[in-house]
Amino acid sequence: MRFTDIARNEWCFKMVYLDNAATVPLLPSVRKAMHETEEKLFANASALHTPGHLAMNKIEECRAVLAELIGAEPNEIIFTSGATESNNTVIRTFEGHQIECSPLEHHSIFEATRVYKGNKLPKLYSYMLYNNETGEKLEFPILDNESFLHSDLTQALGKVEINVNRLGLDYATFSAHKIGGPIGVGALYVRSGVPFKPLLIGGNQEHKRRGGTYNTVGIAGFLAALEYVRDNKTWEIYDESIRKLRDTLANHILAKIPGSSLNTDVRRGRSLPNILNVSFKAAEGESIQLYLDSEGIIVSTGSACAAGDIKPSHVLMAKTGDAEIAHSSIRFSFGLDNTMADVERVMEVLPGVIDRLQKISTIKRS
Amino acid sequence: MSNLEGQDWVYSEKVKDHFLNPRNFLMGDESRFDYDALGQVGNPICGDQMRMYIKVGHDKKGREIIDDVRWKTYGCASAIASTSALSEICKGRTLDDALKIGAKDIDNYLGNLPKHKFHCSVLGHDALREAISNYRQKSK
Repeated sequence: MRFTDIARNEWCFKMVYLDNAATVPLLPSVRKAMHETEEKLFANASALHTPGHLAMNKIEECRAVLAELIGAEPNEIIFTSGATESNNTVIRTFEGHQIECSPLEHHSIFEATRVYKGNKLPKLYSYMLYNNETGEKLEFPILDNESFLHSDLTQALGKVEINVNRLGLDYATFSAHKIGGPIGVGALYVRSGVPFKPLLIGGNQEHKRRGGTYNTVGIAGFLAALEYVRDNKTWEIYDESIRKLRDTLANHILAKIPGSSLNTDVRRGRSLPNILNVSFKAAEGESIQLYLDSEGIIVSTGSACAAGDIKPSHVLMAKTGDAEIAHSSIRFSFGLDNTMADVERVMEVLPGVIDRLQKISTIKRS
Repeated sequence: MSNLEGQDWVYSEKVKDHFLNPRNFLMGDESRFDYDALGQVGNPICGDQMRMYIKVGHDKKGREIIDDVRWKTYGCASAIASTSALSEICKGRTLDDALKIGAKDIDNYLGNLPKHKFHCSVLGHDALREAISNYRQKSK
């Protein structure tokens, strides 16, 4: 049974799901844990009574597992509604201070930095470890003793081993739905003793660091996903078998599709093993995406049109400086239940789609 | 083909049809179509570019009409669908009549594009107007 089987049966039996960097389908163990929690741990986790206490135990269990997985202490973990909230919280903590983020950051960092940055010291640096669109690995800046470092580890969790101390981080962002957990749950690592200003105020939850009733069901789902990551050492599976799928697809595309070029550096150590970003000369991304969609192959694109935006992906623009490349880009992102049959299916369909779009295009492919 | 249901798709059934089965497109080299004039608008840097090729003939009253049309598009699904729809709408019309085709007509024909996609249909009729204008310049 594959994780996407239920959706596949409902919608399209032959679905090949390659948009795992956007959301990973719920793991069966996550679904089960959430159902059980809904039934048994319904009480408000902040309450002093026994049902409340039992719910809190589940939350603390998740906190401990995440802390252990990333080399932190449990009291350094704050649960949030997801990566956007975690990112916003860190950036806003440094309101009025100097903030420098990499040009490849997610909008939730980019936009927050634009709104909150000022001139005061100490300075905050925000650099993701791996980019979500190209999978590219970023180098952290060299910090002076006064500055602080935040990293958005949303894509990294489960794909590579993480140790916040070895990485030298003061803050780190995590999200449940990128590892097979539910949407709407995330976490923020805050090193003991570093500045912190809560984004949501008005409750004593999380030691007054994040107000709002605990999302026990979501956190129980996050816990099950983290246990899956820990027990299966998923980073090893990504590094071996998923990398093989990604590299095979990259090689096939370059060999068989004229006008294709990789936006992901697939060399070991340069990118996440599950992301492949490719541009196809003279073929527009949204059209490629929707032709593939009509054949049950699910991918994403950095084209502006698909996002309902005016500008194409700021990541590909920062990387290539070429709007046409950005508009013509497709991201294939693999998950743990993809197989070589998925790669073969893509290669059955993709060359024809690109050829057709290139032939009706106003741009020549070579 | 998949067992996709129309209502599950991001666009209307008609847009989907014109996107998946575009009409009157020009495959490959433009020498494959004997055209009298072409019009091009848009820019790949902005994400879409369209080219309309028209072959002009005459109706029984001797008026100039669009006898045949082909197009090429670099663009999104609604750009492809809009150009395809426009090629169907304009065929057989007099040049004066074809000039009156507006983005709203294409939008209506396709059963409404999403709001943020409306500009794609504007590009199509701009390309047609330019083709007609180029034709008239040439035949002066």
